[in-house]
Amino acid sequence: MILSRVKPAVGGESPASEKKKKNKGRKSPRVEDYLNQRDYLGAMTLLEFQRSVGEREEDADLWLGYCAFHLGDYRRAMEEYKTSTQKPDCPDDVWVYLACTHFFLGLYKEAEEAANKAPKSQLQNRLLFHLAHKFNDEKKLMGFHQNLEDVTEDQLSLASIHYMRSHYQEAIDIYKRILLQNRDFLALNVYVALCYYKLDYYDVSQEVLAVYLQSIPDSTIALNLKACNHFRLYNGKAAEAELKNLIDISSSSFEFAKELIRHNLVVFRGGEGALQVLPPLIDVISEARLNLVIYYLRQDDVQEAYNLIKDLEPTTPQEYILKGVVNAALGQEVGSRDHLKIAQQFFQLVGGSASECDTIPGRQCMASCFFLLRQFEDVLIYLNSVKSYFYNEDTFNFNYAQAKAALGNYREAEETFLLIQGEKIKTDYVYLSWLARCYIMNKKARSAWELYLKMETSAESFSLLQLIANDCYKMGQFYYSAKAFDILERLDQNPEYWEGKRGACVGIFQLILAGREPRETLREVLPLLRNTGNPQVEYIIRALKKWAKDNRVSL
Amino acid sequence: MERAERQKTKLITNQPYDESLEVNDSEEVASVYTPTPRQTVSRKSRRQVRAMANNSSDEYEEDSKPKKKESQPAGQQGLSENEEEDDDDDDDDDSDETESDEDEGEPGTAPEGAYDPADYDHLPVTAEIKELFQYITRYTPQTIELDHKLKPFIPDFIPAVGDIDAFLKVPRPDNKQDNLGLLVLDEPCTKQSDPTVLSLWLSENSKQHNITEVKVKSLENPEKNPKVIENWIESISELHRSKPPATVHYTRSMPDIDSLMQEWPPEFEELLGKVSLPTADINCDLGEYIDIICGILDIPVYKSRIHSLHVLFTLYSEFKNSQHFKALAEGQKSDTLSVPRSGTGDPETLTFD
Repeated sequence: MILSRVKPAVGGESPASEKKKKNKGRKSPRVEDYLNQRDYLGAMTLLEFQRSVGEREEDADLWLGYCAFHLGDYRRAMEEYKTSTQKPDCPDDVWVYLACTHFFLGLYKEAEEAANKAPKSQLQNRLLFHLAHKFNDEKKLMGFHQNLEDVTEDQLSLASIHYMRSHYQEAIDIYKRILLQNRDFLALNVYVALCYYKLDYYDVSQEVLAVYLQSIPDSTIALNLKACNHFRLYNGKAAEAELKNLIDISSSSFEFAKELIRHNLVVFRGGEGALQVLPPLIDVISEARLNLVIYYLRQDDVQEAYNLIKDLEPTTPQEYILKGVVNAALGQEVGSRDHLKIAQQFFQLVGGSASECDTIPGRQCMASCFFLLRQFEDVLIYLNSVKSYFYNEDTFNFNYAQAKAALGNYREAEETFLLIQGEKIKTDYVYLSWLARCYIMNKKARSAWELYLKMETSAESFSLLQLIANDCYKMGQFYYSAKAFDILERLDQNPEYWEGKRGACVGIFQLILAGREPRETLREVLPLLRNTGNPQVEYIIRALKKWAKDNRVSL
Repeated sequence: MERAERQKTKLITNQPYDESLEVNDSEEVASVYTPTPRQTVSRKSRRQVRAMANNSSDEYEEDSKPKKKESQPAGQQGLSENEEEDDDDDDDDDSDETESDEDEGEPGTAPEGAYDPADYDHLPVTAEIKELFQYITRYTPQTIELDHKLKPFIPDFIPAVGDIDAFLKVPRPDNKQDNLGLLVLDEPCTKQSDPTVLSLWLSENSKQHNITEVKVKSLENPEKNPKVIENWIESISELHRSKPPATVHYTRSMPDIDSLMQEWPPEFEELLGKVSLPTADINCDLGEYIDIICGILDIPVYKSRIHSLHVLFTLYSEFKNSQHFKALAEGQKSDTLSVPRSGTGDPETLTFD
């Protein structure tokens, strides 16, 4: 194993151990005790103290580097190792340690340089392997992959690459194999739990995780994962309770994963505090950027969402979906076909992929893709397949109803439109116009007319009038058609509106004769006709009056 | 067949806006679209085949089949998520198809229930009125295209779980195995020592007070973090408890505390029964008051009153902590309730014995 390599990485360790024994004799605290408890802050404080009083000299940087590294303070670790490399008697292996700190600080170029100064070792190979992954260099990746040996650390390192490349099953296989040989490697249970989490098997993840938490109940990583499982299985409240538990048991000097916890608190609270917490975490926690985009989308700030995501090269389904969503929203907002095209392609990519085609987001993607292509039959197929998950969800219902209406299923479309609660959608002209059409097609012209009456006068209300006038005419609902044409004519002296009104008024008369409209309605027709100064008016009115007289209808 | 074709074309003509997109896309859709079913076929293939057979035989003419097949089967296969839902889905599909076949009709020209002048031909009306009726058909209502708007589904917020240990970690400088990432996760424990407190301890322990640099951190939202403050106070007072009491070296000689604790002469004691000691209310400044009190207690006052005050408070604390005087004072308290006391609390134990 790598930790028992033949050549000591750091020379002159014996004085330190002697000193430790001495320390024991004096009943002073020992670094070892702190390390055993993984109290690295304690260990570092003690090491610094020992250095300041001259008890430790030559190896203090390396120990401090080791502690800072495992504390997660990579910057500090980097500084210690840098100091070490500048010393004349520095062991060569320190270069690879320095490279490790660079790696965790995201300084991949520097990491590669430093790693190449170190002698060949398993650690160096693993590091270069992971760097090749970060650089997306498949050729190098394969080379370093071949150098991996059948030792635990190398195999675990390989498993973590599988995990990062979303090959969760391969990772699980490695972990389970090693666990079979080493039952006491409890930490591997957490790795397996992480894989199951990513595979959406949250309860399995929870079970495997419990094995670890039983022996180490205050593990930050494990408790955070537990919270995430709760978020997926139950809700944000349950998840937050788990995190709260973790925060309560942590000492104030505990900084590890603090950013992760802050990030997840925002997630569990449905975006509360997103603008304060997330921006500094962008590029620190990969999800932070996505979550900020989601936050902006929820606030209807599409432009801001787009700015954040436009340079992101998507790799995970979540990233593809978000890019698709943002492009769809922006494309429709500014009327850009390029954005819509990108959106449609990303949706298609996710919805058609093996891993996502059977997930709810995958189905939503396919539906969105076809929606953008205006292939509403296909939209309905996909939306129908997930509709039980979205009962009473405005966004879903809005799209669903439009698809139904587009296919002429106005009855169900109307029902679905009416399920929508959000004011923002309900005042959207797309909603109003489609609902009005559904009403008219379902012979509820009066309801459509009421939609018009509730609108402020605007270009949209004018369009709605045209819709009501013509659709009602088409459906033989001449009363509201005539009313709509009458107003249109007053707003715009287009002879076409007169023709429409004329036909609609006669249509009402016909309906009366057929007994489908009460005779009294004729009384309302006359003023409508009189609003127009056209010689034909008198002719029609005379005919109507004559009939009224003959049939004893008082006008 | 005619009908099916008309539907197809109509869908496109209805959206002139899309026409230009249509050409490329329909090809792309077909190619990427087909893999979808292949993934799911494994689970439900037989059922779907049957469903497909049903559809084609029941509802479509032989020649219309190829047209429909293109989209329909793919969709249906995509639908079947699991066994239980399958029946529902099938039902849905069927109803959708009937809807799209019957209700949809010809969306552009004659929707269901549209006005048809023939319905009114039978009306017994005069020729004049019949002529009037022609106005109805003289106007052809416009077909108004409505915009669609896709409300993109916004995904849920995504929690972060972090990456898995990649075993890119530095070993211990002494090359002992640390088992980090194997027996336990490679993470610091949640209970980390407070560096400030620990370094105070260390310098205390080693009697090395020459460490000048003591980092004291500040707290950003103290009102929100009472726990942190309590912990700090707790750990610092624990530190102080462990320290030996501080010793003060007086520059001039001071009487020792035991001699100061001796009884006053009996006459003075007697006088105290009638007159109380001067309180801080008497008309003099603080310095003079200190001089008076120290004088009464036989504490010399030199240039600086600090040392004298130190002796005074040491004497006070000695009395206060003395079991003997405590018992005495308590006994007296119950005895001499009527005796008027000075307003200040502290002279009590000093005054009586």
